[in-house]
Amino acid sequence: MQRRTLLKLGLASGAVLALAGGAAVLLRPGLEQGRLAPAARPLFASLGRAILQGTLPAEPGPQARALDGLVERVDALAQNLPLPVQAELSELVGLLCTAPGRRLLAGLAPGWEEARPEEVRAALDGMRFSALALRQQAYQALHEIVGGAYFSEESTWKVLGYPGPLAL
Amino acid sequence: MSNFPDPVREGLQRGWKVLGGPHGALPERITCDVAIVGSGAGAGISAEVLTRAGLKVVLVEEGPLKSSSDFRQRESDAYPSLYQESASRKTADKAISILQGRCVGGSTTVNWTSSFRTPESTLGFWQQRFGLQEYTRAALAPYFEQAERRLHISPWLAPPNENNALLQRGAEKLGIPASVIARNVKGCWNLGSCGMGCPTNAKQSMLVTTIPAALDRGATLLVQTRAEQLVLAGGKAQALHCVAVLPNGAPTTPAQTTTIVATHFVLAGGAINSPAVLLRSKAPDPHGLLGTRTFLHPVVMSAAVLEQRVEGWAGAPQTVYTDHYLETQPIDGPIGFKLEAPPLHPVILATTLPGHGQAQADLLAKFPRTHVLLALLRDGFHEQAPGGRVRLRGDGSGLLDYPLTDFVMQGARRALLAMAELQFASGAQEVLPVHEMARPYGSWRQAREAIQALPMKPMLTKVVSAHVMGGCAMAASEAQGVVRGDGRHWQIENLSVHDGAVFPTSVGANPQLSIYGITNRMAQGLAQHLTGEAPVALA
Repeated sequence: MQRRTLLKLGLASGAVLALAGGAAVLLRPGLEQGRLAPAARPLFASLGRAILQGTLPAEPGPQARALDGLVERVDALAQNLPLPVQAELSELVGLLCTAPGRRLLAGLAPGWEEARPEEVRAALDGMRFSALALRQQAYQALHEIVGGAYFSEESTWKVLGYPGPLAL
Repeated sequence: MSNFPDPVREGLQRGWKVLGGPHGALPERITCDVAIVGSGAGAGISAEVLTRAGLKVVLVEEGPLKSSSDFRQRESDAYPSLYQESASRKTADKAISILQGRCVGGSTTVNWTSSFRTPESTLGFWQQRFGLQEYTRAALAPYFEQAERRLHISPWLAPPNENNALLQRGAEKLGIPASVIARNVKGCWNLGSCGMGCPTNAKQSMLVTTIPAALDRGATLLVQTRAEQLVLAGGKAQALHCVAVLPNGAPTTPAQTTTIVATHFVLAGGAINSPAVLLRSKAPDPHGLLGTRTFLHPVVMSAAVLEQRVEGWAGAPQTVYTDHYLETQPIDGPIGFKLEAPPLHPVILATTLPGHGQAQADLLAKFPRTHVLLALLRDGFHEQAPGGRVRLRGDGSGLLDYPLTDFVMQGARRALLAMAELQFASGAQEVLPVHEMARPYGSWRQAREAIQALPMKPMLTKVVSAHVMGGCAMAASEAQGVVRGDGRHWQIENLSVHDGAVFPTSVGANPQLSIYGITNRMAQGLAQHLTGEAPVALA
């Protein structure tokens, strides 16, 4: 990730936190040593439930397992990113995991775990079509991470009609 | 694990000198005749030419050494291990995603094999605008011929896969020319997995051709090792400092460093990374050119759904192209574009198709019937397409700032129109321009009206790139170039750049053969300069 966005995120984080009551809110990093922080796991499960609606298994058990797999793969993906990219992702995820960050950056009132997929999708569209580059960048990053991590696993290919590579 | 012989593992068993990562600790200091940064197209060709001339060569590669036994045709393996930044490299404002290799063989290990000589119109522009008088088709022809022989480059004569056949049929319907693409393959299995590393070693990448040849002649290869900076003094590069890195590019702890002392240094880490080494080294740059004019061939895409199965994952990718939209207008006029049909796999599809929820699920469910065209926009030939600028992040890594100008985005609109028209001509039931505000359209008329009204803004329009060029431009005058026409740096006498970074504009075609041919010429010139003997041809 890049310095300017990091700075922009820094400013945004500062503004968000100030609105939320100043120094009382502590921004915790979204990644810890490159791994998803505990609070980031339900965030990605919630994003997965929304972004992959219509693709995920419909039954609760298989759906929960698919989302667990998604979160594990996001965790693996984050670990392999270069340090500056990890730092930027960590800031984005950390911010989304605070209530003021979630409200101002994502435009989502309920918490990630409580929000219905439709509410999360509306919030995602708010970022996607925002006039603010930072919100658009956040949407694109989350969309790419969730879609990429989900479909990197063979068990998800059936819904795509993709048979997998030819065995050699 | 594939059942094919693995020439790289066999070479390691024969005693190739490979160090770094799992292959052994880096020595504190190495001396050699030529140190080459990188192991991709320019580095591989240079290494073979220089070792044939009897020179002692050391190659420094940041990525890992992976080979056919590791290539399982899965995006989940390939992107994190073989690509820069896990295949998620972005420009500074995140508006362009860049696919670039980071492994032994560089982008040649993961590219889609499309091979074009540098177009004559591009060479003409370089002659006129950058004084590169020696860059004529005739003067370069022997160097291209050698590269084509060495890498088995020839037109793909098997029938195209359906994704490419649709491009051919659509072009025929519209009455525009489309041609077969030449590929660097030998005994290709027509799998379509080129982008994940060739599991059969049919692709004649640097990984299985020039790098093994150089290692067999005694070259040393350092992998998982980053070239940090050159020590410059007295107008010369005295040494190159390198550091051992983990798979994600972070330095190892404890830090392991190595210093390479060489008679001559060659930068061939690819555009973005080659200028970044010079920026970190605080190389002289009296005219403020270093890192500027970095080009991407910005790519926009159009997805169509056909009645029949397309199976874009199967069969050789990019075997048909049309240059109709490049050749029907002046090179320095409104930006032109080349059309090709890329390979399709789950991760690349899901991260490329816009939207989420049921709308995206509906698109993804049609994957087997989905056909995709891409348009490569020819940047660098007009003042409003000046490319981007490489700068350094806080940790010293290179970052490309590439503003997408209105001029370029108007070209993107024309490209979306051209692709939609062609796709409907080839029988598409619906066409989706890859743009956040577009939806699938059921007729050319409907698509045309919609595309004409789309806001052609970065972030809303999906823009990607697999061709990074420029940043260390060559030119006949110091005021216009970082290096001379022979690749030698204008200010540092024992330093050359041998990769796509030397191109003073984009190529206007997939760049691998341009890099092979032009760096072949540069490397032979360097061999002659260093040995005083007539150079040995590449093939």
